[in-house]
Amino acid sequence: MRRYLRIIGTFIAAEAKNEMAYRANLALGVVEMVLVIGTSLGAVLVLFTHTTSLNGWTLAQMIALTGVYYLIQGGVALIFNPSFEKLMEHVRMGTLDFTLLKPANAQVLLSTRHFALIRVADLVMGFGVVIVGLYMLSASVTAWSLVSFALTLACGVMLVYALLLSLVTLSFWFVRIDNIMAIFWAFTDAGRFPIDLYPGWLRFTLATVVPIGIAVTVPAEAISGRMSYETFIGMLVGTVLAVAAASWFWRIGLRNYTGASA
Amino acid sequence: MTLARIYRALLLAGFQQAAQYRIQSLLWMLFAIIRPVIFLAAWIAVAVAQGGDIGGFKVGDFAAYYVCMTFVSQLTMAWNSHEFEWEVNQGRLSAKLLRPLHPLHYSVVENLVFKLNTLPVLGVVLILVSISFGAIYRTQVWHIIAFIPSVILAAALLFMFNWVIATLAFWATRMRTANTLFQRTLFIFAGQIAPIGLMPGWLQAVSYALPFWYMMGAPTEILRGGVTQEQVAQILIGQSVWLAITFVAFQWIWRRGVRAYSAVGA
Repeated sequence: MRRYLRIIGTFIAAEAKNEMAYRANLALGVVEMVLVIGTSLGAVLVLFTHTTSLNGWTLAQMIALTGVYYLIQGGVALIFNPSFEKLMEHVRMGTLDFTLLKPANAQVLLSTRHFALIRVADLVMGFGVVIVGLYMLSASVTAWSLVSFALTLACGVMLVYALLLSLVTLSFWFVRIDNIMAIFWAFTDAGRFPIDLYPGWLRFTLATVVPIGIAVTVPAEAISGRMSYETFIGMLVGTVLAVAAASWFWRIGLRNYTGASA
Repeated sequence: MTLARIYRALLLAGFQQAAQYRIQSLLWMLFAIIRPVIFLAAWIAVAVAQGGDIGGFKVGDFAAYYVCMTFVSQLTMAWNSHEFEWEVNQGRLSAKLLRPLHPLHYSVVENLVFKLNTLPVLGVVLILVSISFGAIYRTQVWHIIAFIPSVILAAALLFMFNWVIATLAFWATRMRTANTLFQRTLFIFAGQIAPIGLMPGWLQAVSYALPFWYMMGAPTEILRGGVTQEQVAQILIGQSVWLAITFVAFQWIWRRGVRAYSAVGA
């Protein structure tokens, strides 16, 4: 475990040195994120000029949920997205061999190899928005809601990770899977509102095939103190199962990989 | 006359090229449909919470609004500013500049091909959405007649505006921020998050003054039959004025840009 943390630390340090060469780029990235989060909050505020509750969600809870949405998105975009993009390229070019030869778990190496450090800004702003929501909610924040929030948030990120891992595993068979990834990105937009708002087909998709809806809604429920114990247990168990299944699928895919010249 | 012949040839080639990417265009459909459905769901929740009616909008009106919005955004979308940066950075623009035809025309054709190609499937999807959400259209014949010039003006306006932004790539090498700014401005002002009538008063006033609502929201309102004849006239005038301004701005900025351009590495 400590060995892997050290490896990941090295990856992050390498990425940081690389990014530091483009500082203006970093600054503009932050500007973009401010625009995106600001306008999303604007949309929520417009909705709430006409109502005080959205399917039972108050304004404060909706703001917290918006923050969670950017936390989950930011977490995925920080680590897994850049790593998986490179992974798909490796499969296409046949250069995956070099990583597979290394004496460490390939899944860990490949899932955490690259970091889009700019996305730390998303995390910071997402947390900021959650805190604003919390401040407005103040009366109902308890130790339990904070702990369950942290746990379900981690589960949310891992749920999306499990999906992405399964999707990139498909590239061992199909090589080009940009289209499949595009479907995932199309659905992520739906995470901005609580999943219970959507019509059946969309709710089902966002809870199972593309779990972004669950990943965002459950932590937001946790922090606003409206999550049931069943949901909490279900989230933990579901995440463990999803990650185990994805990692099993990954191993099957890996066995299918034949390398560039083999 | 020759321009018509050139367009025919380019369109033909465009359709043949697009035939390779049918799955891709189906996927873009998903992008086109998801966001409106999300906001439709949110507004339905608001309407239900308020006893079924907000500012004259019932659930069926929201459904009609967002179905029309999807249709209009598909017809008016433009994406040159994303590609243009790459063409400038790679120096690919040089080849295009040498041709006797303005690069604008190639992108008009590309735009038309994509829209005509995706329209049939989108039509079917939108009919399904209409039925499943129980959309109510208040459209009359004159609405449809007015919709045609309005959507063409909107498409031309968005297209030209996008070209103005694209042209900034002559000076800036990173255009993503400008694009994000434009996308998010559209998100707020073009009517994606709410029909203009439901915006807070000051935001409504700003939206009527800026060009963005005329790119999507205005034709949407006409198509769903949410405006009077007088309002339609105002919309068409607003669109024409903004199109003229944008066109002049484009010509000015393009001339200066081409002079500033020195293909990276050339």
